[in-house]
Amino acid sequence: MKKIAVFLVVVLLFSSLLFAGGAAEQESTKKSLRVATQVPGLITMGIWDGQAFALNSSIYEYLIEIDANTGELVPVLATDWETEDGKTWVFNLREGVTFHDGSAFTAEDVKYTIERTQDPEIGHLKKNDFAAVEQVEIIDDYTIALHLEKALPTFIYLFTDYNMGILSSEYDYASKGEMYPMGTGPFILKEIIPKESAYLVKNESYWDPELPKVDELLLYFVGDIDASVSMLESGEVDVVPQISPIIKKRLDQQEGITVVSPYQENRFIALVQDREPFNDNRVRLAFKYAMDPQVIARSVAQMELNEGVFYNESFILNEQAEYLDIPFRGRDIEKAKELLSEAGYPDGLSVDLYYASDHPYGKELSQTIKELSADAGFELNLKGFTRDVYLSQHWLNVPMSITGWGARVDVSMLLSYAYHSEGPWNESHMNNPKVDELIDLIKAEVDYDTRLGYYHELQRIFFEEGTVINVQVPYLVALSDKVVDYRQPLTMLPQYKYTDIK
Amino acid sequence: MNSYLSTVFSKVGSLLATLLVISLIIFSLVELMPGDVAQMILGQSATEESLRELRQARGLNDPFFTRYGRWITGVLRGDLGDSIYMQGVPISSILWRKVGHSLFLALTAFIIFVPVSIVLGVIAGVKEKKAADSIISFTGLATMALPEFVSGVILISIFAVRLKWLPIVSVIPIGQTLFQNLDILILPALSITFVMFGYVSRMQRSSMIIVMNSDYIKAARLKGLPERYIIFRHALRNALLPTITIIGMNMGWLFGGLIVVETLFGFPGMGSLLMTAIKTRDVPLIEACVLLITVIFALSTMTTDLLYGYLNPRIRFKGGQR
Repeated sequence: MKKIAVFLVVVLLFSSLLFAGGAAEQESTKKSLRVATQVPGLITMGIWDGQAFALNSSIYEYLIEIDANTGELVPVLATDWETEDGKTWVFNLREGVTFHDGSAFTAEDVKYTIERTQDPEIGHLKKNDFAAVEQVEIIDDYTIALHLEKALPTFIYLFTDYNMGILSSEYDYASKGEMYPMGTGPFILKEIIPKESAYLVKNESYWDPELPKVDELLLYFVGDIDASVSMLESGEVDVVPQISPIIKKRLDQQEGITVVSPYQENRFIALVQDREPFNDNRVRLAFKYAMDPQVIARSVAQMELNEGVFYNESFILNEQAEYLDIPFRGRDIEKAKELLSEAGYPDGLSVDLYYASDHPYGKELSQTIKELSADAGFELNLKGFTRDVYLSQHWLNVPMSITGWGARVDVSMLLSYAYHSEGPWNESHMNNPKVDELIDLIKAEVDYDTRLGYYHELQRIFFEEGTVINVQVPYLVALSDKVVDYRQPLTMLPQYKYTDIK
Repeated sequence: MNSYLSTVFSKVGSLLATLLVISLIIFSLVELMPGDVAQMILGQSATEESLRELRQARGLNDPFFTRYGRWITGVLRGDLGDSIYMQGVPISSILWRKVGHSLFLALTAFIIFVPVSIVLGVIAGVKEKKAADSIISFTGLATMALPEFVSGVILISIFAVRLKWLPIVSVIPIGQTLFQNLDILILPALSITFVMFGYVSRMQRSSMIIVMNSDYIKAARLKGLPERYIIFRHALRNALLPTITIIGMNMGWLFGGLIVVETLFGFPGMGSLLMTAIKTRDVPLIEACVLLITVIFALSTMTTDLLYGYLNPRIRFKGGQR
């Protein structure tokens, strides 16, 4: 009996200790921006797939960045640049910039960063793009010239890619890059607890004395989106990126929280050109006639068409300057059936649709187009896989697929990846000499208006005989009302240096 | 030699053998997991060439037994390898912190559910078929039937959303430790208690009923001993044995079951780490977590066996030794 009494007392003591704990909130006048984000993968530039945006884009910095409001190029570590023929590019670099370890930023670091893309040990994702650089010439400490093997008028845009943050030529990224990432960015990493959190403080010697606006950036790596949203609702964080439309609907009714959509992403429905049944353009057209963009918008994202969800039959976002506004062909089931009949499928047909079931909008989109196309006689067999399985085992090798594609600021990049007959990720196996020719012309054309003409011609071809339906879905970020000036351009990199806290 | 000691040795021996077999199974199962680590790291924009290079660099192309051998010898040396994602970051530097958190959570839950369930189980057993018994038994059944993610949500909506007494999410604020934020433990620990309470109290109740109806208790009553003395001195000692087994068996489950609770509450423990590892196909990290859970399970089962033997003289003195 005595023992039990002692035990109970211990329990009581312990539980009172529990309740006494917590509430140890630290009062401070520091401005903190707190973000619940996804657990990052690799941190060092080169082969990260963009999961660690918040962390990387705050520690590292780029030669140029994209203005989140206007989409224009903004000088960062490069102050200006020029090219006469698109073959030789000269960059003037910002003086007086230091890395977080105190060393000075010079042309040597830019050279190192560019040459590092070709290092076979790294498997750099920009290896192919920068293979065009024949020579990197350091003119002086703050001037660098890049000599390309051929003219590339839009080469400059490659430097906005998220893997092209400028690294220090003197730092050992191979062994220290993951635990002690180091760049010239607006925030310095103080502490990182892997898979849990990162604590970043303002870079006091940042080259722009006005920035960053907040004193510290606190990143919580939360694997579960619902837990992240709970943190936002209870005021423990200010920013939660990548929420779903369903969560948006709930948060829309909540005071003190706003959901923004900084940019759109493509979901390409690939109708593969050299596989049955879509090897016949009439079948591709029949499928397009069976679609209803408004229904897709509502069921995929609970939004109205052209208010968050956009639709076209080409490779480009409707919001991009090169987009040609071709009116929607209209849903016409009779016409679709007729086309199928002509193509030899009077009784309809069955096709396997592959997609990443865990990727945002994947399940909803596949289900919606299955139902829409059923009216015309299509029977889609849904083959959903987790994203890594989908990408590694099925993608690029199936008759029909849905794949998420981030838009490229320079559309020609995406074209040469995905729609050139020799493109590395030509998922729809597009093989059209006219398309190839136009893509090559676009890549080499210096004059903007001529280039625009090529883009428009290309979009007309896609409308007539293209292999893709492009559903554009919003990337959604939930913000507390304390957050002022959240910026995230098409490069997908959040620019936390501009963000302030009320 | 003392037979109890030899039992201990044989148990430890079979534990080691089990773990070796289990490690092979874990390794093969993770091997069977669909998906490709290299693809997972490189993402959508990976080229075949860079995939090949990365596989080569990480030794993913080596034959099965070479990789198993490399892994298991590392584990025996205490080296769990590097996380696939965080190059140059040993898993041990990620893992032990989370294991500590999880152990502390499990301990908190243990401290709550063990006394509560035993005391209530005893009351239900002694007051068999009376009102107290019905209430306790019904509650036990109800909480046992509720999965953690349901009871967790109920607890969150009552204590965190409505009453605002406790935090919704069990995240440790940056720059602080778990010990400065003990309140984040309460809701997860209570959700675990909900599940465990049913098992333990019901086991305690039924064994109490059996014991209370046995001859030696009747004899004690006839001797005129006070009822309280009979319950705590005579009955409870015997009635505790099956309960201890259940608790011990469930300790391992408890540790594995933390995955659900930790994910729900965002608690930075081993369960949520394992979840992240699975989501990102971080193979060495998955292997380390699962192996550790297995070790804990095996250890708690073995401890229960030994404790049971120690507490029960019929097993301890098997073979007539004194």
